Amino acid sequence: MLQNYLPILIFIAIAIVISVVPLLAGLILGPRRPDVAKNSPYECGFEAFSDARMPFDVRFYLVAILFIIFDLETAFLFPWAVSLREIGSFGFYAMMVFLGILIVGFIYEWKRGALEWE
Amino acid sequence: MGLILQQTVFYAFSAILLFSAAMVVLSINPVRAVLFLVLAFFCACILWMLLQAEFLALVLIFVYIGAVMTLFLFVIMMLNLDIGPPRKGWLPYLPLAVLVLGLFIIAAVSALKPEYFDPDVYQVVTQPENYSNTKALGAVLYTEYVYPFELAAVLLLVAIISAICLAFRGKRPGGKAQRISEQLVVRRKDRVSLINMPSEKK
Amino acid sequence: MNFEIPNFALALPEIFVLTMACAILLIDLFIPKHAKTLTYLLAQITLLGAAILTFQQYGHPGSVTTFNGMFVLNNLAIVLKLFIYLSAFASFLYARSYLPKTKIPYGEYFVLGLFSVLGMMVIVSAHNFIVLFLGLELFSLPIYAMVALRRDEGICVEAAIKYFVTGAIATGTLLYGLSMLYGATGSMDITRVSEVIMQSSLSDELILVFGLVFAVVGMVFKLGAVPFHMWVPDVYEGAPTPVVLFLGTTAKIAALGLLFRLLVDGLQPLSVQWQDLLIIVAVLSMALGNLAAIVQSNIKRMLAYSSIAHMGYMALGLVTATPQGYGAALFYMITYAIMTLGAFGVVAIMNNAGCEASKVSDLRGLNSRNPWLALMMLLVMFSMAGIPPIVGFMAKLSILEALIGVHLVWLAAIALFFAVIGAYYYIRVVKVMYFEEPEDATPIKYPVDMQIAISLSGVGLLVLGIVPGALFTLCQAVFGATPY
Repeated sequence: MLQNYLPILIFIAIAIVISVVPLLAGLILGPRRPDVAKNSPYECGFEAFSDARMPFDVRFYLVAILFIIFDLETAFLFPWAVSLREIGSFGFYAMMVFLGILIVGFIYEWKRGALEWE
Repeated sequence: MGLILQQTVFYAFSAILLFSAAMVVLSINPVRAVLFLVLAFFCACILWMLLQAEFLALVLIFVYIGAVMTLFLFVIMMLNLDIGPPRKGWLPYLPLAVLVLGLFIIAAVSALKPEYFDPDVYQVVTQPENYSNTKALGAVLYTEYVYPFELAAVLLLVAIISAICLAFRGKRPGGKAQRISEQLVVRRKDRVSLINMPSEKK
Repeated sequence: MNFEIPNFALALPEIFVLTMACAILLIDLFIPKHAKTLTYLLAQITLLGAAILTFQQYGHPGSVTTFNGMFVLNNLAIVLKLFIYLSAFASFLYARSYLPKTKIPYGEYFVLGLFSVLGMMVIVSAHNFIVLFLGLELFSLPIYAMVALRRDEGICVEAAIKYFVTGAIATGTLLYGLSMLYGATGSMDITRVSEVIMQSSLSDELILVFGLVFAVVGMVFKLGAVPFHMWVPDVYEGAPTPVVLFLGTTAKIAALGLLFRLLVDGLQPLSVQWQDLLIIVAVLSMALGNLAAIVQSNIKRMLAYSSIAHMGYMALGLVTATPQGYGAALFYMITYAIMTLGAFGVVAIMNNAGCEASKVSDLRGLNSRNPWLALMMLLVMFSMAGIPPIVGFMAKLSILEALIGVHLVWLAAIALFFAVIGAYYYIRVVKVMYFEEPEDATPIKYPVDMQIAISLSGVGLLVLGIVPGALFTLCQAVFGATPY
């Protein structure tokens, strides 16, 4: 089974090489003459106006957590689709109940307005 | 040849895993800590793959790295953590922590004896070329394990309700959302009003 | 494929609660704001319906399993479930008029409560480590959210964070322990685990004990006993009163169910090891709970420490590792739940009437403000102190009897000693209610349903104390023990 994943391992190796070589090349070959003005942060040519780390709105968190839940749902759908022939109608209805429970949650979040951005 | 390659991959990624797990705790910048956690998950995924848990390894990537880590990043960016000097005052607790950790390691090592890892007793499972881990999982998950499977759905539903209860503050007044239904029912009289005004004279 | 279609009839109460909880969630979305009482009524009807369905299952001799051996139904599960419904019903009842005052939405509160009840039902019927763990998660997650529902109150949010963090650690510990047990036995089926441990040689024992310790730590956390009690006072103080009612009664019964399923059904062969662990837990809980309760001026914190002490007594019943002891522990837990319903019921009623009831001194002169309420509180306090003829006395007596039955007389003596110390602060409450003048003499008025509930718990304690036979025999019978 693992043989199937050998190409991916090779890809990872090549990706690491491709991403590391330019960095190293820049580090070794490029001229570097830093001074205070070059190293100081600036924004459009001016001194920085404010901190770059602005707090995010809490609504991003809500969207992310709702996304995770439905992401997990797809994780469950995948083996179901692959083995649908073996598990017969019982397996089919098991997934329908699973989806039904999550659809209840979906109706809830929709109706509560949690999906609206405004 | 195959075995040597497997062992190389195992040791390489285990080393990266341990390093990045340590960095999760040691990084001062929380965003970096999360990125190291992503690396740790990725290495764990490769180790699972070596155990031939194909489906779980891929789910680790697309649920944990794809979704959960995004959430972690959002939370960290939401909290507006300032990267200050390293926290002080942990030194007095260090001896206690080392003691507890030492006791734990002694207990764990004496409980988990090498016999449990004896390759003669516990054979390495080798699956045929066309074996599908996902299919094998699916064959039991929706039949024999249907009860925990449905419970997982209920847990996810509870997570939806709790998340909305705690993080959703309701619609804010003054939102600029488009309401198509309201736009469609609008009639001329709602928007235009003709005012009869006598002409002004100088 | 040889797969047996599960027998859904055995899980009918679970299916009913799940369906109703989903339906209530949707119905609540679509009904207008002024009709939200419907949500409350539907939640109570769900509990009643589940009770009827569960009651009909009573009487099966032995255990029946289904869902590939993951779900077990026996009389123990049925009795635990019935008392879970009862205490959830009462805590919902006190929540009815409390919630609108604090702007907690009805829909979410009752739906989360029902899902938590579902999780508890899953735990007490669990026959597999995975199901046990999922049930535990399903039971805790809604409670974390319920504690935090008043999210603008700092103290509530603080309580929720503390409860969540310690609870998550506890769940992690339990899971770690279960994974060790699975590694050592190669099975997650509880009966199978028990069989494997019985056949195992001594060399395997260390890893089993290693797993056992972690599992016990996780469960003791959930039970709120020393040394894993730190969250209890803060959560009791900070959480809204109806939530405390829920988590101080319903959740404790479920935690006991967890102990029964894991220690008694699964790890009975390791009883020598977990007896030692539980002895430490019990003695420390009785000592710390009773001593710390004396110095509390906040009534919720006092009751929290008293709950820690009561968990210690309850654990003594398990220490005996005999069916009589288990029966005594179950009896203790059920009567403790009724007492807590009474004690926090009084607090909830006073909150509801607009009186501050956070300090013990706020109960001053309760007798002149509402004699019946004071009498009920008196019964509850006497019962908690273990004064005859109230049922708390019977509960303590049965625990002591079970201890003496296995020749642990020294433990019985310690228990008795701390019971005497504990009586002090319960009686102080009674003194404050009857012999001190109220600061504010306005009579306390409260709705009829609360009146019935508080009277039932108070009078119930007295009646059960005089004729404990039926409940006591029931608790013994579910473990197949013959009463003395």
